[in-house]
Amino acid sequence: MPINLQKGQTINLEKDQFDLSSVTIGLGWDVTKKEKGFFSSLFASAEDDDYDLDAIAFLLNKDGKVANVGNQKLEGGDVIFFNNLRHTSGNVYHTGDNRTGDGDGDDEQLIVKLNRIGSEYEKIVFLVSIYQGIQKNQNFGQVDNAFIRAVDAKNHEILRYDLSHDHSFDGKCSMVFGELYRHNGNWKFRAIGMPYETDNFVEILKHNYL
Amino acid sequence: MAINLQKGQRVAIGLQHLTVGLGWDPAETGEDFDLDAVACLLAENKKIPCDEFLVYYNNTKSADGSCESTGDDRTGGNSEEGDDEQIIINLSKVDSKITSIVFSASIYEAKKRKQNFGQVQNSYIRICDTNSGEELCKYELCEDFSVETAIEFGRLYLHNGEWKFEATGIGHHDGLNGIVNKYC
Repeated sequence: MPINLQKGQTINLEKDQFDLSSVTIGLGWDVTKKEKGFFSSLFASAEDDDYDLDAIAFLLNKDGKVANVGNQKLEGGDVIFFNNLRHTSGNVYHTGDNRTGDGDGDDEQLIVKLNRIGSEYEKIVFLVSIYQGIQKNQNFGQVDNAFIRAVDAKNHEILRYDLSHDHSFDGKCSMVFGELYRHNGNWKFRAIGMPYETDNFVEILKHNYL
Repeated sequence: MAINLQKGQRVAIGLQHLTVGLGWDPAETGEDFDLDAVACLLAENKKIPCDEFLVYYNNTKSADGSCESTGDDRTGGNSEEGDDEQIIINLSKVDSKITSIVFSASIYEAKKRKQNFGQVQNSYIRICDTNSGEELCKYELCEDFSVETAIEFGRLYLHNGEWKFEATGIGHHDGLNGIVNKYC
């Protein structure tokens, strides 16, 4: 039972039930169902209407900023995404880019070995965005069974957002999902769920984390 | 020679570095026993000045840095013979508005898991001189507090500018809730 001390202050007597020695961010969605019509099969190229969701991680320093963006293409730095699948430390990595949503369960995963993260990193922020969503006229509301979730080292789900059926994500192409942060020597997970219209995570990076 | 305090007995400690240790044996069958060591750093009014002066599993260090927990053991498996959880105390760092520090032990989810100290083999709480390891006071929880789920073990308090320790040994039936309600 939480006890209220002053406004906004609470002592939480619940224990964190999660094993945060490693955390997996999973992203899943279903492949677009193709129209069977003659003209659409004749003229529409398959790549155009596939939804391509991406999971992205920013590793932040104590000021809440990305200290090392890598080269001009963001390669080799503290932003982990489809063109920089593995952090130089090896402790944050992507299992690979899925461009259609094919397969059950998580279609893309980002794995974070939290117990090995260097002390220069204080926080890790996770995002999901639809690749070229604006150009393809796509948004989360149209994707079937899209979700983003965080799972602990023992495979317990910490947090899950249903992106397809939550109206706050209609018309949006990106979302800051949640963050892991250090607190008194331990890692904690905080849900954020902040949607953005942009399909370009670099805009969010520039605006908030540089 | 270890000083073994009876309930209510007081002693001037003359030390700055102390360690409160909590030890117990893991459950052989059934649900885990999850005991917690807790410190409440209290101001003159016998309340914590703010959340950060409660040291427990969700806050491992007091705001002034004087009390720090070595971490949460959820099974009793940390140490075979010795302390499974410790609170390390440095009295020279205590904030000037703090006049006493109450140490407690409690069983997490005792009600839900239908547990009390009597079931927890070899459970004890003690306070030692960090440097010499000498024991100032120790309670055998499984023997002395068999039906309780939390106990106020003892308190360090300032008296005429000198820190003293009093063994209180007050049992509670409401786990950590009762202690938090009293001091927070």
